[in-house]
Amino acid sequence: MAERASDRVLRLLGMVAYLDRTSGASVEQLAAQFGVSPDQVLADVETLWLTGTPGYQPYDLIDFDAFSLEQGMVTLTEARGMTRPLRLGAREAVALLAALRALAQDLGPALDDDRRAVLTSALTKVQAVTGPSAGPLDVQLQVTGDPHVQAALAQALATGRRLRLRYVNAADRTSEREVDPIRLVADDGGSYLLGWCLAAGAERLFRLDRVLDVAVLDVPADTHQVDARAEVFDPDPSGELVRLHLRSRARWIAESAPVEAVRNLPDGSFEVDLRVVSHTWIVQLLLGAAGDVLDVQPQSIALEVAATAQAALDAYEEQP
Amino acid sequence: MSTSIPPDERLLDLVIALVNTPTRLTKEQVRATVAGYADAPTPDAFERMFERDKDTLRELGVPLLTVTDAGHGDDIGYRIDLEAYALPPVDLTSAELGVLSLAAQLWQDASLRVDSARALTKLRAAAPSAQSSDLVAGLAPRVRAGGAALGPLVDALHQRRAVRFTYRAATTGQVRDRHVEPWRLVARRGGWVLIGHDRDRGAARSFRLSRIEGTVRMVGPAEAFDPPAPVRLAEAERSWSLGAAGVARLALAPERAEALRARALPAEAAEPDVAAGRDVVQVAYRTSWELAEEVVGYGDAVLVLDPPEVRDAVLSLLRTAAGLGQVPRG
Repeated sequence: MAERASDRVLRLLGMVAYLDRTSGASVEQLAAQFGVSPDQVLADVETLWLTGTPGYQPYDLIDFDAFSLEQGMVTLTEARGMTRPLRLGAREAVALLAALRALAQDLGPALDDDRRAVLTSALTKVQAVTGPSAGPLDVQLQVTGDPHVQAALAQALATGRRLRLRYVNAADRTSEREVDPIRLVADDGGSYLLGWCLAAGAERLFRLDRVLDVAVLDVPADTHQVDARAEVFDPDPSGELVRLHLRSRARWIAESAPVEAVRNLPDGSFEVDLRVVSHTWIVQLLLGAAGDVLDVQPQSIALEVAATAQAALDAYEEQP
Repeated sequence: MSTSIPPDERLLDLVIALVNTPTRLTKEQVRATVAGYADAPTPDAFERMFERDKDTLRELGVPLLTVTDAGHGDDIGYRIDLEAYALPPVDLTSAELGVLSLAAQLWQDASLRVDSARALTKLRAAAPSAQSSDLVAGLAPRVRAGGAALGPLVDALHQRRAVRFTYRAATTGQVRDRHVEPWRLVARRGGWVLIGHDRDRGAARSFRLSRIEGTVRMVGPAEAFDPPAPVRLAEAERSWSLGAAGVARLALAPERAEALRARALPAEAAEPDVAAGRDVVQVAYRTSWELAEEVVGYGDAVLVLDPPEVRDAVLSLLRTAAGLGQVPRG
C-alpha cells in the first residue's frame, strides 16, 4: 500500500529532529529506528534535501554531508529550525496509551521481572508527556493459563528452547508432545502458543488454558517458517458443510466461528454455513447454544448432539 | 523547475516556512513563496489545496495558529505555535522504545493503527538509537479490528459528538435506529463494545460493534455533551468487566476434563473429593451461563453439583439439546 503523504511528512520531520540530536547515523540505523527499508531512508534524504524555507536557495535548504552519505552515513548539516520532535496529538496519545496499558496490565503479570519493569517504565514515561488521558479506549487482553505455564513459555521463547507440553485438546484427549515455540499470541479472546509440533511436523495453536504441564528442555528449538497469519482461524474448505438456523441471540456464533456465509432472515433469525473438520467441536458448540438452535443440517449431527445430551441427563439421574 | 512538487514535499515546505516565519504568513504569501503552491492553476484550486493542507497539518498535531494583523482587519495570517509544537523532554531507553513498537502493533484496526503508528514515529524522533532487543521477542498481542464502525466512533468520541446508527438487537433481532452520545469504546471477550448515553431511552446503554449495520453518522455539533461522571461510566461498564462471580462444585469422570482439573481451586481439607466414583473439584466462574456452556460441552463427563443456578442452566440446555433433530421447531 502506498504510504500516505501525511505519514511520510511525520517521518521526515522525525528524522531531522533525530539526526539533529545525534552526530549522524548509518542508513541502516536510521531504517531500524523508523521501521522502514534502507532504500526508503535514501529516498527520504533526497526529499529532505529539496525542502527548506521560501527562496529555496542552497542556504535555505535542509542539508546533509554528501561525502559521508556516500559512505552510508547520514549527517545533518542544516536543520532549518526543525530540531524539535513534534508533540503527540490527542488521538495518537489515546491509541498508544490504551495499547500500553493493556500490555502492562494484562501481559505484565505473565512476564518476567525485567520485561515487566520495562513495560511499566515505558507507560510511565509516555504518560508523563501526554498527560493521563484517562481514555475513551479501554482494552483488556485475556491472558489465560497457569502462571507457571506462562513463565515457562516466556523462558523458552527468550532462550530459544524446545518445550515438552502435556496438552488436552478440545476432544478432551491428553497427550504429550514436543514443541518448538514460535510466538505467544494474546488477544481479547484468550492466549495461545503458536508452536511447531514435532510429532505433527506442522505448526499448531495451543490454548494456554489447556496446557496441563510444561517443561523447558535442554534442547535448542529449530527455526520454522510459518505464515504470518498462522494464528488466524479461517474456514477449512475441506471440512464438512454444516448449516445452522439460529435465533438472533446466538449471533455470537456468526461473530466468533469460522463461518462461510451468514443469511439474515426477515424474522430476525439467521442461517450460517460452517465448514466442520471436528465433530467434537460442532457438538460442543451446539450443546452450549442449544436454546437458540432452530435447525441443524445434516440431521445426523443434530442426533449426535441429542444423544450426548441424553447421556448427560441420565448421568444426573444416577447421581445420589 | 517545471515538474510539479508532490504533496508530501509541499506539506513539509509549508511546515518549515511557518516555523521559520518571524511573524506570520498570509495566504497570499504562502501562494507566492512556498514551494508547490504555485502549481495550483486557479485561485480556487489554491484555496482547496491550502485548506486541505491546513487540515492535514492539524490532524498531524501541528499547532497552526490563525493571526490577524491589528492594522489590517480582514488580513488573516498563519504561524505555528512553537511552544505547543515541541514534545516535552522524554528520556526513553532502547528497550522502552521496543515496547512502544509492540504496543503500536496491538491494533488490528486500521484507524487505530494509523494513530498509534504516528505516536510511535514522533517518539522515535526523541528516543535513543533502536537496538535489536529480544526483550519483546515472541510476543504477539493483538486486538481485533472493530469493523467499519470503529473509525467514526473514535472520531466522535474525541470530538464529543453524538452519533446515529442502525443496530440489530441481540434479544429480538429487531433493527432500529439509535441516537447515542459515545462515552467509551471497550474491547472485551472477543469483541468491541460502545458504551454511551442512548438519547431516545434517556439511559446508559452498550452496543456491540458487530451488530451495527451500515454506517455510523456523526450528528450535531462537537463538544455536544459533557464527559460522563466516572460513577456512571463505571456503572455502565460493569457488565463488561472480567471478575469472578462465584465458585462451582463439579463432579468429574475419572481421567476426564483435564482442562477443568488444571484450573481447580485447592480443595478444602474437610471437603470429600469423591462422589459416586467421580472426582469433585471447585472452579471459579464469571457468569453461570458461561460456565454452563463450557460444562455441557463435556457431556456426561462433567456434572454440576453446586450452585443450583449453574446446575439448572446446564440441565435446561441438556433438555433442549436432547430434543434436537426430532421434530422441527419454530
